[in-house]
Amino acid sequence: MSIDSTYAHPDALVTTSWLADHLKDPAIRIIESNEDVLLYDMGHLPGAVHIDWQRDLQDHTVRDYIQPDAFAALCSRNGITPETTCIFYGDKSNWWSCYALWVFRLFGHEKVKIMDGGREKWIDEGRPLTREVPHYEETPYPTPSRRRDAEIRAFYDDALAQSLGKLPLIDVRSPGEFKGLVTHMPEYPQEGVLRGGHIPGAHSIPWKQAVNNDATFKSADELRKIYQTELGLKPDDEIVAYCRIGERSSHTWFVLNYLLGFDNVRNYDGSWTEWGNRVGAPIEKSL
Amino acid sequence: MSYPAKLSSIIELFSGLSDAEKRETLIAYADQAKSQEPRGGDTFDLEDVRKDEECTDTVAIFLRLNDQGGAHFRITLGPQVQTLTKAMSSILCKGLDGVSPEEILEIPADFVPKIVGAELVRLRSQTVYYLLTRIKSVSKVWIHRQRSASQDNNA
Repeated sequence: MSIDSTYAHPDALVTTSWLADHLKDPAIRIIESNEDVLLYDMGHLPGAVHIDWQRDLQDHTVRDYIQPDAFAALCSRNGITPETTCIFYGDKSNWWSCYALWVFRLFGHEKVKIMDGGREKWIDEGRPLTREVPHYEETPYPTPSRRRDAEIRAFYDDALAQSLGKLPLIDVRSPGEFKGLVTHMPEYPQEGVLRGGHIPGAHSIPWKQAVNNDATFKSADELRKIYQTELGLKPDDEIVAYCRIGERSSHTWFVLNYLLGFDNVRNYDGSWTEWGNRVGAPIEKSL
Repeated sequence: MSYPAKLSSIIELFSGLSDAEKRETLIAYADQAKSQEPRGGDTFDLEDVRKDEECTDTVAIFLRLNDQGGAHFRITLGPQVQTLTKAMSSILCKGLDGVSPEEILEIPADFVPKIVGAELVRLRSQTVYYLLTRIKSVSKVWIHRQRSASQDNNA
């Protein structure tokens, strides 16, 4: 199956078969990012490196992402230069690969792609996995001058302004979380928050609407129907997407930004774990 | 409370390992998860097969009691179950082998981070505790059934 050429940026995706033919391409680095902390160790694409969303991308003492110098060091030890095309894939229909890609964009790394269908599709097609951990020579990676928080990341105050200004807020969690029927994500009841519901004025468009059963992204026509025809979003709208901790909304951010070509989409990574627990934050329920 | 002897040995093994070695050992245990599934001809005193909210896929727990009242567990895991949970299935099947259901109910869960290590017990890996809860649940049901049967016989 090929990539839909009518996506706004079809080159942001590669197929499993394309990647199978480019495993040894020196211009690319294949990066696996998963929710399952040991999944990479159980087997990964030949040549793929592992970037762990918590260990590698998050600050370990402040709820924040790493700083530019740590990002440069991460890229350097994985043999990545600013010219390297980073191709991300992972479990959970590519949640965490989209999350890692979004963090790479925070630091201005331009050449990023997702392997459509992620780890599940690669395995379902019977393609090879290995446990051999590759070692790449350290590369020079200049420390980015800044993190692009203002451009693609939203904070609590931004989400509040979005709500008060009645601007598009997309809640990509499950319907039960949005309605306030549950205070946790399905299958993770141990990760609750104090209050259930959603940010006032948010629209519920679960992330899953953007993917097919095999974890590949839906066609451009199908995505336009969901986000533009039915929800009424326009490509130049200022949009904030959120979920619970920012991984599912990274997936929707990728769809809106790369597949539909919306230029002003920000991911509110504090998401419901911040909003639902925060003193003074207004919520809406729709039981 | 002290842990059952076989479980204690496993905890002790992990306590001497670096984080990297723990990771490798957990992978080795996860690799053995399939061998903890029921084998042809196995019979059980209790079976508990379900997919519930605490885990990402179906988990089936099979319990057989030996003549001395010791429990033997077999576990089948759905494909979406996390690798740490797979490792824990092997660890628990081996570590609790031959322990009575009453003793199993008393085992505290605080050995889990000792085995897994602080780096891996974190957000989105908490299902590592789930199997112990399920094993305790099966043990509890079996004890209740035994008590009910005993009361019926005495009536």
